[in-house]
Amino acid sequence: MNRWKKLIEELQSVANHHNTTAGTHEEDGATLVNHWQRGVPVYGEPVVTPTLLLFAALAAVGFTLSLVRFFSPLGRFSGMNDAYAWGIWKTFNVMTLTALGSAPLAVGMAAWVFNRQKLHMVMRAALVSGFLFYATGLVALGFDVGRAWNFYSIALPWRWNAESAMLEISFCMPVYCFFFLAFENLPLVLERFYYTGTDQTKAFLRLCAPPLRRIYPFMLIGAYVFPLMHQSSLGGLMLLAGNKVHPLWQTPLLPLLYLLAAALCGLGFVTFLLLMACLRYSRPLDLGVLRELGNLLSYVCFFFFAVRFVDLLWRRQLGTAFALDKMSLLFLLETALILAPAVALRSRAVRETPRKLLNMAVLACLGGLLFRFIPTTIAFFPARHARYFPSAPEWLMTVGYISLGIAAFGLAVKYFAVLPGEIKDWNYMFRLVRRRRQAAIPEGEKLWPASLSTQ
Amino acid sequence: MSPAINRRQLLLGIIGAGGAVTGALATSAVAEEHPAHPVAPPDAVSMLYDNTICTGCKACMVACNEANGLPSDTTLSGGLWDMPTDLNSKTKNIIKLYEEPNGKGFAFVKKQCMHCLDPACVTGCPFGSLKKDKWGAVTWNSSLCIGCRYCEVACPFDVPKFEWDKWNPKIVKCEFCFDQRLEHNQQPACTGVCPTGAVIFGKRTDLLAKAKDRIATSPGKYFENRVYGEHEAGGTQVLYLSGVAFDKIGLPKLGSTSLGHYATKVTSVIYKWLSGPILAAGILGAVIKRNWNRHEAESAAREKQTGLKDQL
Repeated sequence: MNRWKKLIEELQSVANHHNTTAGTHEEDGATLVNHWQRGVPVYGEPVVTPTLLLFAALAAVGFTLSLVRFFSPLGRFSGMNDAYAWGIWKTFNVMTLTALGSAPLAVGMAAWVFNRQKLHMVMRAALVSGFLFYATGLVALGFDVGRAWNFYSIALPWRWNAESAMLEISFCMPVYCFFFLAFENLPLVLERFYYTGTDQTKAFLRLCAPPLRRIYPFMLIGAYVFPLMHQSSLGGLMLLAGNKVHPLWQTPLLPLLYLLAAALCGLGFVTFLLLMACLRYSRPLDLGVLRELGNLLSYVCFFFFAVRFVDLLWRRQLGTAFALDKMSLLFLLETALILAPAVALRSRAVRETPRKLLNMAVLACLGGLLFRFIPTTIAFFPARHARYFPSAPEWLMTVGYISLGIAAFGLAVKYFAVLPGEIKDWNYMFRLVRRRRQAAIPEGEKLWPASLSTQ
Repeated sequence: MSPAINRRQLLLGIIGAGGAVTGALATSAVAEEHPAHPVAPPDAVSMLYDNTICTGCKACMVACNEANGLPSDTTLSGGLWDMPTDLNSKTKNIIKLYEEPNGKGFAFVKKQCMHCLDPACVTGCPFGSLKKDKWGAVTWNSSLCIGCRYCEVACPFDVPKFEWDKWNPKIVKCEFCFDQRLEHNQQPACTGVCPTGAVIFGKRTDLLAKAKDRIATSPGKYFENRVYGEHEAGGTQVLYLSGVAFDKIGLPKLGSTSLGHYATKVTSVIYKWLSGPILAAGILGAVIKRNWNRHEAESAAREKQTGLKDQL
């Protein structure tokens, strides 16, 4: 017991030392401004927090219900019906939320294709969050389909209906998530093994590193081609619904617009995520990187708006857009949510004020999400009069999948070097580890921040 | 690295070759799979329903249930007799009554699958569980269906139904009595049993001519003097003649372009032989390779400077 107390005191002193010597921070208003130099795990904090437990509990509820769903007919379980055959598992968790999960695509293409070097620093946050959005979305999809046992056909290409957007999605999304995205996430997992492993592990990983690095750029190609395909196909799904979708949203450009909305949400979400995480874990911010994200976000928002406007003009639907009925107001709301950040983020002052940047990123995300959700449900008018409102289990399962993502991200930032920080942080972390080793706590030969928890 | 071609030339070459391939494919796509206005094959079977003849006896509903082994929908009748309100997972065929709001005049309508010439459900079905079978009947194969219900979202006529109350749910829709009767050279149960000839069976070309004949003999009798299904959604194999407006009896106003054409006209070019994705991969590959090398050089310099392994 005493030994624990001593350790905690020591940790405290190191932490204090850290805080007092962090003198190179530049004050900009109330925000510490600094440079992000490399991913650093969140250390010196308890792993298990009440928040984590809350989200884990919500996830547990969701997954328990999923298990029940597996043995229950869909009708009794959900608010879906023959007119609204798709509920929020498909329309929200998959068709809408994977837009937020497109950060690896949006940020990755900006960094690797359009050579925005600064953005490499936020790739890990994008990759981990993107993987979680996709993985939980795919789980939702698995419980949504009525005859999941026939899905093995995906391995039999001669059964594919290649012209079906649904086929494209059911093939591309799992392959992207569990192959390309998983591979992109591999370095940060192996990194932990490297630093916590035995000498043997280290030697093995040192052997693995060069070939992994050699195939990495080739995997990047797949990691961008695949989501470019399925993110646009998600919009392509609604094309077949024809005039059941309100003319403000039913356009041959739906695939392109869904893709642009994915880029917009991806950039917006990673900005939001970094600002929130840095706030939560008291990390300094790097306004150079955030400014770049805000800048790109603004351009993508403008581009989205331009395409949307030209499309409405071309299809002569501008009158419908300003008819000021329910659908037109919805359209105006969605457009305002995208146009506001586009305009505001042109101002350098907005891009450099974290609070305003956060607000604008949230608005853009909401706009993009609305655009992707509306044609599937709100602006979807089936041939016969019917209503759809998600049932309680549908809500709980959707919340459960999202909670699982949040909880997993909360764990990931502590176990892996996801969040960007300074080299100084990295070094402090290892100094703490060394102290802890000297304190010779019997269990816990681990050399990684999670083991530094004070609980 | 051979100095014969530099990077710019290579990139331009890739783009040029890709463009040529795409162009060639675009022109070769003339014989497209989803023409905007599909032409019915000569052997396409058809149903012609004329609601000025129908007496609403519902013999076709009974015959349909019997032929397809469907249970009775007794929700409304307190468990006594078949009384569906619309097509549902127990009803593949239904006669509905439309009454004018002023009480003067009424019309029946028979609803079942329209057997589109280019069905949206078939275009969307990921594993070809729904397919355009022999004679143009749209059939469903239980062993290929994953239950994604895209057919329900896609169908403009609100036809495919899902067994929401079953653990092993099926898609229920009229299949033109394909297995039960068509394959045995018999006409569908509903047309076979109709006592007044309100719904008749035949080749689509014959029935279309017959319908136009009826319009010609009594002009003004039929709504808009036209056959519903001749052009709707690219044309359907079930044809309607109606004394009242089509939308009043639940036949939606649709364009003459097939939904399959609308949904695939761009993607069928992009995805033809995967030329679009391959072209994208080529361009992305060239650019990423260049940026990757630059990044590697920078990260090596950074590693030297900080003494820390670079992170990917």
